[in-house]
Amino acid sequence: MVDYHAIGTPTPRVDGVEKVTGRALYAGDRRLPGMLTGRLLHSHRPHARIVRIDTSAARALPGVHAVITGDDVRGHLYGRRIKDMPVLADGLVRYFGERVAAVAAEDEETARRAVDLIEVEYEDLPAVFDVVDAIAPGAPLLHPAFGTYPGTQPLDVPSNAYDHTVTERGDFDGAFAEADFVFERTFSTQRMHQAYLEPHTSLVSVTDGRAHIWTNTKAPHSIREVLTVTLGLAPEQIVLHHSHIGGDFGGKGTPLDLPIAYFLAQASGRPVRMVADYVEEFMAGNPRHATLTRFRTAVMRDGTITAHHVEYFVNSGAYAAYKPGGRIGGATRAAGPYRIPNTRIESIHVYTNSVPGGHMRAPGGPQGVFALESHLDAIARELDIDPLEFRMHNLIAEGDEPASGDQITRPRVRETLQAAADAAGYRDAKALHVGRGMAIGDHGAGGGVGNAEVTIHPDGAVTLGTAIFDQGSGTYTTLAQVVAEELGVPVDRIRFEIWDTDGTGGEDDSGIGGSRATRVNTVAAHAAAQDARTALTRVLAAQLGVAEADVALRGPDVLTPGGEPHTWAAILAEVGRSVTGRSHVDERGPTHMTGFAAQIAEVAVDPETGQVTVLKITSAHDVGRVLNPIGHQGQINGGVIQGLGYALMEELTFADGQVTSLSFGDYKIPTMRDVPQLTTVLLEPDNGIGPYQIKGIGETPNTPVAAAIANAIADAVGIRISDLPITAEKVYRALQNRGAAAQ
Amino acid sequence: MTATRFHTPATLDEALGLLDEHGDDARLFAGGTAMVTLMKQSLLAADHLVSLQRVPGLEGVRLEADGLHIGALTRHRDVETSDLVRVYAPLLAHVYSRVATVRIRNAATVGGGLAHADPAQDPPAALIALDARVRIASRRSVRELPVEELFVDYYETALAPGEAITELIVPRQPADAGAVYLKFLPRTEDDYATVAVAALARIVDGRAHGVRVALIAAGPTPVRATVVERALEGAPITAEAVRRAAEAVVDAVDPLDDFRGSAGYKRDMAVVFTRRALERALGLSPA
Repeated sequence: MVDYHAIGTPTPRVDGVEKVTGRALYAGDRRLPGMLTGRLLHSHRPHARIVRIDTSAARALPGVHAVITGDDVRGHLYGRRIKDMPVLADGLVRYFGERVAAVAAEDEETARRAVDLIEVEYEDLPAVFDVVDAIAPGAPLLHPAFGTYPGTQPLDVPSNAYDHTVTERGDFDGAFAEADFVFERTFSTQRMHQAYLEPHTSLVSVTDGRAHIWTNTKAPHSIREVLTVTLGLAPEQIVLHHSHIGGDFGGKGTPLDLPIAYFLAQASGRPVRMVADYVEEFMAGNPRHATLTRFRTAVMRDGTITAHHVEYFVNSGAYAAYKPGGRIGGATRAAGPYRIPNTRIESIHVYTNSVPGGHMRAPGGPQGVFALESHLDAIARELDIDPLEFRMHNLIAEGDEPASGDQITRPRVRETLQAAADAAGYRDAKALHVGRGMAIGDHGAGGGVGNAEVTIHPDGAVTLGTAIFDQGSGTYTTLAQVVAEELGVPVDRIRFEIWDTDGTGGEDDSGIGGSRATRVNTVAAHAAAQDARTALTRVLAAQLGVAEADVALRGPDVLTPGGEPHTWAAILAEVGRSVTGRSHVDERGPTHMTGFAAQIAEVAVDPETGQVTVLKITSAHDVGRVLNPIGHQGQINGGVIQGLGYALMEELTFADGQVTSLSFGDYKIPTMRDVPQLTTVLLEPDNGIGPYQIKGIGETPNTPVAAAIANAIADAVGIRISDLPITAEKVYRALQNRGAAAQ
Repeated sequence: MTATRFHTPATLDEALGLLDEHGDDARLFAGGTAMVTLMKQSLLAADHLVSLQRVPGLEGVRLEADGLHIGALTRHRDVETSDLVRVYAPLLAHVYSRVATVRIRNAATVGGGLAHADPAQDPPAALIALDARVRIASRRSVRELPVEELFVDYYETALAPGEAITELIVPRQPADAGAVYLKFLPRTEDDYATVAVAALARIVDGRAHGVRVALIAAGPTPVRATVVERALEGAPITAEAVRRAAEAVVDAVDPLDDFRGSAGYKRDMAVVFTRRALERALGLSPA
């Protein structure tokens, strides 16, 4: 075991004081001279042709500097991969809430009044909201021009199912023919908002032919790349400046109003700032996707799963634009880390007339895992096999290929599940109407490219230059620990220099997302710190008149053979100049490593009301080395609580395509008083990635929670809820229906 | 929010005069917790807001012969923590403690909450069960009204133009009464009730007396379930009698579908929680 002084030490957030004292600047705090406020007119129809837009009254309002519609931005398409979304509706609206027109005015009040003065005449078109309806014959086609958009290929047959991927393995049909049992079930999940505190904000100033941008995005370089296409600018004409980000949970990877703010700034010749209000966030944000998963699973009498068919439908909403890859994962999560030799996994993304989905914490993970882990639990109970034994019987061991198709070196899924069961007292006696349920999920650390620069100053201070815009998960703190570790200095010695997108000297930077931040950026910070150490050694050797090989750095001291001990800071002060190390790292390769999470929920169900009280959640994690135990535990607790909200209460509700849960009064998230006893178990690290052997943690703890709770309810009262969220009323109705059936 | 004149009269008379002068264009403004939200959502607009912040004598709790007198501007939190309320109407102190969060309770006023007439608000359940009255003043008259009769419809009260609630009068809670408030919060602790019930009853020689049952979030107004009260009044206390009486509550409620449940579910839950509240009030189940 390596002896570290900073790595592994509980370290308070380096930006914590700045944030809680209000000194940290967010995009919404920025003020530029002459800055205008932008506001949007959203569609109030789910699918309609725009017959006429009259903006004359809005333009005539004193204080209004610009009003733009789809006519003004025709041909400018937005999309992370699939560029299918017009910056403003182009003669057609495809969801209730779509951005139709925008106003820039002296102040918010004037902008709002101007928006109210815009008249739009619509001609309604038939709308589809549900994936099954949207792929039925005769369904209205949302995107007849799919295939002409950048980032798309024409479909063989025009369809709202714009992406249908099938992976098949083994003798699929043969296995079903030989199966003792075949189980079929369907599960569905709801749309969920990321519920970050800070709404989407975009400030754009066009000066000297460059668009200067302050927005809350966690992937500034990627967004710059996307904007070159959408805005028709060269990369060097776009610069994204740093602002702190007030929560992300996946939702801050696509700046919703940024292209519109740019065109308003162009039209008005003034800087324009747009801050979404929370009605807009709920109505027209980029929520977690609703899904529908159908299973057909072949099982032998002894509980061995022999074949598994997944049909995983993702309700994309009206556009694919907000999905970084054009689609999300999850289909393979619905196959899981189980040893099933014969599989067919279908992932089907479907356009519907609803708010486009985006990324949220482990996109597709909670959906796929809820479906699979509920389904397997139901099979175990139907076969009268203990759900823990059933899983243990079918889970992969070293060398097995999982049904998901993932390649995993040293999968510790059984150990993780056993650790959760032991810590949760899975076999302990239970009171009446109390149940325990389990679920398993996993998430590997994503890859990407990263940059860092470490400068050691003559006064002993150290500056870390980074292109990362920390979205709140604590990356800056982790990077400070890395640099402190490698230079042998205390963490509080590290100062940050956060670069705008010009700062990498033309190099790309993947930013935050996909659990890559720690993996990529610890490698980058480590390399830059090592480079700085080498540079320091060279300077010290020259100053001390010894060979570089004879210079040894030990914490604050520099040792030479037979020489007096000095602090290197003192020598650098004599030299009077700083030394710098830089890195650009490419960490895009596969790691064949993942981090498993196994959770056990204990719930009490009130059979008279259906109310589910979660008593306890035990969360076991197959981790690498934990760099900052505070941040790590925060990710676990926060993830579990977010999973609790997904399981029991959070839901964007709709009526005729319109989001109806438009405030936190109706869209409920858990509060501290709702949080049950949380127990964490961390397995002893035995492998990991990079210089410190780490694994990702951000996207595993939220993933299994809903299935664990659903399974605990089944254990408590014997009913199966297969659509999220699990409201008391659904449980009550299921209990009533069972009661009626029994009579 | 549109531009509004914000008046800060120094006396009640002056405030009532402003209401007379501006009629429908004026609204009284107290804690602002409901009104600001409604104005931001463009659900309410007023050209004139008449703030009561400078008007003296409308705040505080005092004990008189006919019960507790609670000034209309008394904050929810002050009712919740008042020693007088805790001693003479403990049910009321408890119910005020269940309103929203402490941030809201520190700002929201008793009179403002009642005038808002949101049927999901907690206090009317206890106030109706305790036979409380409101005192209502205008430039022309002062009158009293049972809280039960204050609510007319969703967000609508029996207040006439120019009238303001000035005081709440709460008779002492009988010392020997069982008093219970059950608030059903199936989603999160931070929510309006799916349904909530206040029940009050005394046991005399094994029979139920002075039975009071009131519900909130169960219809367009807070409602007193006299049909349940009558079914139980004077009856021997048995689990079966309580169960049957509670079932009658379906005739008193008229819930709507919303985020907290369907109308049918709320009706069923009204029965369950009425029964549970009465069981506790009558000592059939532990409090």
